[in-house]
Parts: sequence; C-alpha cells; structure tokens
Amino acid sequence: MNRTNVLLVAKREMLQILKLRSFWLTLLILPVALALGPLLGETLENRDPTRVTIVDRSGGARAAGIEAQFTFDEKRRLMGLLSRYVRRHGLEAADPAAPWSKESYWYGPADVAAFDAAGGLKAALAKIARVRPEGVPAFEAPKPDYSFIAPPRKLVDAPEASFEQTARPLLAKGKTGTAPQIVVLIPKAYPADTRITIFSSDDVRTSFVSKLQDVLTSGLRMDLLAQSGVTGERAVLVQTIAPTIDIDTPPPGGGASERMLVRSIVPLALAYILMMSLMLSGSWMLQGSVEERSNKLIESLLACISPEELMYGKLLGGLAVGLMMITVWAGCAGVAAFATQGAIADFIRPALEPVSSPGIIAAILFFFIAGYIAISAIFVAIGSMADSMSEAQGFMMPVLLLILLPITFLLQAIIAGNNGPIVQILTWVPLWTPFAVLARLGQGITTWELIGAGALLVVSITIELVMIARLFRASLLATGQRPTLAKVLQRLRRAGNSA
Amino acid sequence: MPVLEIRHLVKRFDQLLAVDDQSFSVEAGEIFGFLGGNGAGKTTTLRMVLDILRPTSGEIALFGDAPSRRVASRIGFLPEERGLYSGMSAIETIVYFGRLKGLDEGLARRRGLELLERFELAERAKSKIADMSKGMAQKVQLATALVNEPDLLMLDEPFSGLDPVNQGLLEEEILSASRRGAAVIFSTHVMQHAERLCDRLLLLRKGRKRFEGTIDEARAQLPARLSAVAKADLSGLPGVSEATSTPAADPEWREWSLQFAPGFDPAQVLEHCSANGIALRRWDHHQASLHDVFVQLVGPEEIKP
Repeated sequence: MNRTNVLLVAKREMLQILKLRSFWLTLLILPVALALGPLLGETLENRDPTRVTIVDRSGGARAAGIEAQFTFDEKRRLMGLLSRYVRRHGLEAADPAAPWSKESYWYGPADVAAFDAAGGLKAALAKIARVRPEGVPAFEAPKPDYSFIAPPRKLVDAPEASFEQTARPLLAKGKTGTAPQIVVLIPKAYPADTRITIFSSDDVRTSFVSKLQDVLTSGLRMDLLAQSGVTGERAVLVQTIAPTIDIDTPPPGGGASERMLVRSIVPLALAYILMMSLMLSGSWMLQGSVEERSNKLIESLLACISPEELMYGKLLGGLAVGLMMITVWAGCAGVAAFATQGAIADFIRPALEPVSSPGIIAAILFFFIAGYIAISAIFVAIGSMADSMSEAQGFMMPVLLLILLPITFLLQAIIAGNNGPIVQILTWVPLWTPFAVLARLGQGITTWELIGAGALLVVSITIELVMIARLFRASLLATGQRPTLAKVLQRLRRAGNSA
Repeated sequence: MPVLEIRHLVKRFDQLLAVDDQSFSVEAGEIFGFLGGNGAGKTTTLRMVLDILRPTSGEIALFGDAPSRRVASRIGFLPEERGLYSGMSAIETIVYFGRLKGLDEGLARRRGLELLERFELAERAKSKIADMSKGMAQKVQLATALVNEPDLLMLDEPFSGLDPVNQGLLEEEILSASRRGAAVIFSTHVMQHAERLCDRLLLLRKGRKRFEGTIDEARAQLPARLSAVAKADLSGLPGVSEATSTPAADPEWREWSLQFAPGFDPAQVLEHCSANGIALRRWDHHQASLHDVFVQLVGPEEIKP
C-alpha cells in the first residue's frame, strides 16, 4: 500500500470537511455552550426572594413569630452552606471555634444566636478572607427564599369582607414591582378563629405553608399549655424539646455516589464526545463518498490508487477531523477551566484523577482511535454503496440506532453508578467497547478487562477492515445497483472479482 | 517491447461473458482504436488494464509487467463516466491527481497551469468545478489524465459529450501524445474519429475480437466495388465475383456494377483493360468506409452516428 497516496486522500478528505460551513458551526457549538451554560445557569438560579406580607389583626405577635422563624431557617441554611464551603477549601483556621467551622452539625438556635452575636455573615467572611489562599473563590451567599415586607396601608385598613378584592390588585402588581407576592391574613379573632388565609398570585410552595403552620401551631400549643398551667420555661421546653442530631457525612465531594459521579464526569464526557464527533465526521465522510460515486469520480481515482488506499485515506481523514474537533473542544474546556479556575478547578481536580495516569491516557487514546476506526469504517462502507445522500440516509438510520441506543443506556447506567450486566456486556461487544471502556474509566475497570476488551477490539477491527475493504472494492463501480442484503453478503464473500 | 500486450484475456461476470479471449498489443507512439457497440467489452478491458478489475483468465503485460498501481505514474486515463470534486478548484484538482500519480506538488502545479493555458482555461484555474460549464469541467478532467505526461494514454469514449471545438482540441491532444511517443488507446463507437486518428484498431462484438489491424486492412475486409461504362462485357474480368449491367444513354454502351473478392485490388482490372484494349468511358472505385466495415463485422445495431 502506498502511504503517500493514503495521506493525500486523507488530506483531501480533511480539507473538504474543513470547507464545510456545518463543520465550523458544529465546532463552535460546544465552546458556545460552555460559555453560555454557566451564564444561563446563573440566570435561572438568580431568583429574587418571594415578597411576603403578613396582615396580623390578632395583635402582631404571630406575624413577628413567623418572620423570626423564616429568618432563623434562612440563617441556618446560610451557616450550613458556609460550613460546607469552609470544609471544602480547608479554611477552618479562620475561626476554629466558630459554628461554621464545625463538622457534621445541625445548627440550633444557640448556634444561630452565636453567629449573629459574632457579627453574622459579614464578620465570618472577613475572618475567612484573612486565611483564604489565592485561587480559592469567595463565598457566594445565596439569596433567601422569602423577604418580609410591611403590609401596605390599604391592606391593613381593608375590611375582612372585601380583603380579597383589595389584595388581588396588589398581588397582580407583585409579579414585577415591589408589591407583595404572598399575603397572609391572620384574623382578629385568632386563635379563637384559627382560619388563616393565604392570598398569592402564584402557586404557594408546600414548604412555605408547612413552615407557617408549624409556627402558628407552636403558638397555639403554647396557649394550650398556658391554659393547662404549664407556663414559662417549662412550656418553652415542651415546645422546643428535640433530639440533637449529628449528621455524619464525608467532606464535600467525598460521598461515595458523589465521588463516583465526579470521577466519571471526564470519562463520560469522553465517551459522549467520541459519539458526537463520530456521528458528525461520519456524516461528512458519507457525503464525500456519495459525492465520489454520484459525480462518477471513482474510476478516475481507482486508475491512480487502490480501493484500500482510498478507504484508508478516508478513514484517516475522518479520524484527523474528529481528533481536531476533540482537541479544539478539550482546549476550550481547558481555557474555560483556567478562566474560572477557582470555581471549577476544585471540581476538575478529582474529575481528572481517574484519567491522569500515563497508562490510562494511552488507553483513552487507543480506545478513542480504535472506536473512530471501527465506526467510521461502517460509514465509509455505506458511502461506497449509496448513489445519493437520501439512499445513504436510508442505510444510516438503522445503523445509527443500533450504535446509539445501547450507548444511551450505557451512559445512564454509569451516571446512576450502575456497573451491572448491561455495562459488562457492552464492554465486550466490539461495536460498543470503546464507549463502554471510556465511560467506565471513572468507576474503575480492571486491567485484564481493559487489555482483553482492547485485544478483542483490535481483532474485530482487523476482520471488519478486511470485510469492509471487500465490500468497498466490490461496491465502488457498481453504480445504479440497489445493494440488497443478498448482494452485500455476496460482495463481502468475494474478494477476487475486482482488484 | 509493446507498451501493452494482452493475451487470451477473458472476463466473466456471473453468467455474462464480458470479454472473450481477447489478444492484441499496442506499441509506443501508436494510436489504437477500440471500436465496438455498447456491451462490447471495451470499458471492462480498460478496467482490467488499469487493475481495477481482475481478469477471469488470460494475461496482461503493461510495460512488460502485470498491471498494478506501481505503473499508475506512467498511465493517463479518462473514464467514460466523467466527474470531479465539485468543491475543488480546477488547478487543485489537477494537482491532486498529479500527486496521486507520483508528481511532486510544484511540478504538478506547473504542468497543470500549462495544460489549463493550452485548453484556454488559465483564467479559470482557481474557479471551483461547480462553477464551471460541463465542457470546461471535461477539459479539466482531460488535464488530470495528461498531467503526468503518460506513456500510455487510455481514453474511454473521450469524444462523447464534447462540442466540435473541444473534439478538435482532444484530437490534437491525442496526436500530440502520440508524437511524444505515448501509446494511445481510445474506445469509441464514432467511426469518424477512429478513421481520422487510428494507426490500428480493434473491432469488438459482445466481448469478442472481430478484427485487428490498420484502417486499410479493415477496409479490405469488405469486397471492393467498381462502377464502369464500357462496350465490352466486363463480367469475365479477373477477380470479378459479381457483375450487373444496365443500358447506358448511348445504346452501344452499358453501365457495369462490379464486385470483387475481398482483398482484390481493383487497380488490376484497370491495368487489364488498358493492356487488352477494352474501351472504358467511366471508372469509379468505391472504397469501403470504416462505417461499412463496422456494420458488416459488428452489426448495424451497434453503430452510433
């Protein structure tokens, strides 16, 4: 085989694909998605707190109690997130005695009070800033779910009979302005009249209703306890007594399923990228092959080069385009990681861990290239049989389904941390071996499986290339003949009819 | 040593015998015509010479060796079904094929530009094939066959689809290649081109050789015909195989139509008449055309005007 000819064909194939507008659009999709993803995520996350107003006609104590409970819960959530941040980045030295430096802790009222007394979030962040190394991102406090605003005069004065009519226009304005989005009405006769009404312009979250109910129920119980002669500290104790709960979790990113998912991110991405780039470059290769047939170019080419040189050139050209796409995408991911170093570097480090040894890198390259050759060869064979793109699409659809469906199941299984029979079987079926092995690198794959599946893949590719070369040779000049299954099998069997 | 020598070549596709015991050879500098109707086996033979198809039996010696892509650099080929990469420019296309035939890029480009200049396409060197007319694209394809200055130029139905101007240009290229010493084989079923260009030709019918030789030898395959006006009875002249006569305008004279055995030279009859004092008023020798030979040997249904 003349290697120069193979390289010339590969170069031409590559340049032809590079001239396609669709190539450049596709190449840019991932970087654009990478750039837009976080922005979009931030936009979706950027939800302002829901504005709540409480019209408490029973004296005002209940409204104050509700607001205090919501505020307390928000602070507890904030302290939990701060603690997680501190532990993730090892910043406990900022204030080892502070509640947010404690591990595995469910914060109680005393902790929140201590947090407030020490100056709250602002003071905690100041302490953390003193020990925070360069590159560690600053803590971003989440917005509270609810903000409480004083009830407008109109609502306070509105008679109960027409309260709803007064509240509705305000709620309608609340969607965009500063007016309340939820109005809670506590009747004057409360607690004799325990009917609490919530007016809202939208669905009210269950968590809001149950928290509201908890606070008001607690008040009602206090009243009952007082009527039963239990007062003061004793009554408070009855109300607040609860077991102390310690939550023992691994440090952030250390949980078994979370760790497995993080470790599998890069391998899964590799399998996905292999699939994506294969589908794309495969379809471009197919276009090139169909053009050669439909434009009656084949005979001119075969006068200069052998069918094998043409086939290998096409495969090499497709592989080069695929690797180019992957290099660009990996480069963009690298730039994105560098640009946002603090935010995702900490996540990327454990994600890259399973794919950073030289042996694994070699395995990735091997399975990537082997996967590319194995699947691209099928596309080349289809291209050699089809006279038009529509005819080629007819062959492509079942082949794509055959390749893609199991891969979809495979990726889902790996995400779910499932290493069951489907994953095992797909590892040993050469058509899916590259995807299965790449996706499993995060979970861990034994060396014998890696070598065994790789060896089986090499043997299969060798047989595949011999068979497809026969099909390619026999199909190239058979224009205008609809390749039935019987004809395809006949072409696969015969090697000597054409050169 | 002949550039191409074929001995007892047979090619069978399942039940179809496409080439049946063909033998011929082509020498350097010779223009060799491959004549036959559709399904005569012309393209199949050329594909076997190019090693695109393998013979069922028989031998092909190309430059003294079995066909292989090792000699692709010495061959120029223009297929019957023509096409190029629509997205490539004219010069890119020629350079690509030149490189596939072993030329380095610089030489391929230089020759490509020279050919485009010769074909009056220099200004369109960078135009995409998709933006060219069919005639222009055909000239670019001819350039891809000529870029390596081949020792064997094989053209499969090269004149089909060309306008008269481009047919003239192609004829000139064939003659020029032959003058350079290249062996030229072209298949056609248009007799006029073969008559004008071929040193020798091969007539095929359904894969089998019906004739191989020069144009004159081909013509000699058919009986010579004479028409003459004489007083004497010409039916007894030597070589005459058939004679008919009709009264001429002058009642003393008769118009004769004579047919001779194939290979007989009618000049001998004129010589005989002069020597024996046979008076002749008119003498017309009707030479058989290649068209007549083709119709006779291959069949009228195979001819294309």
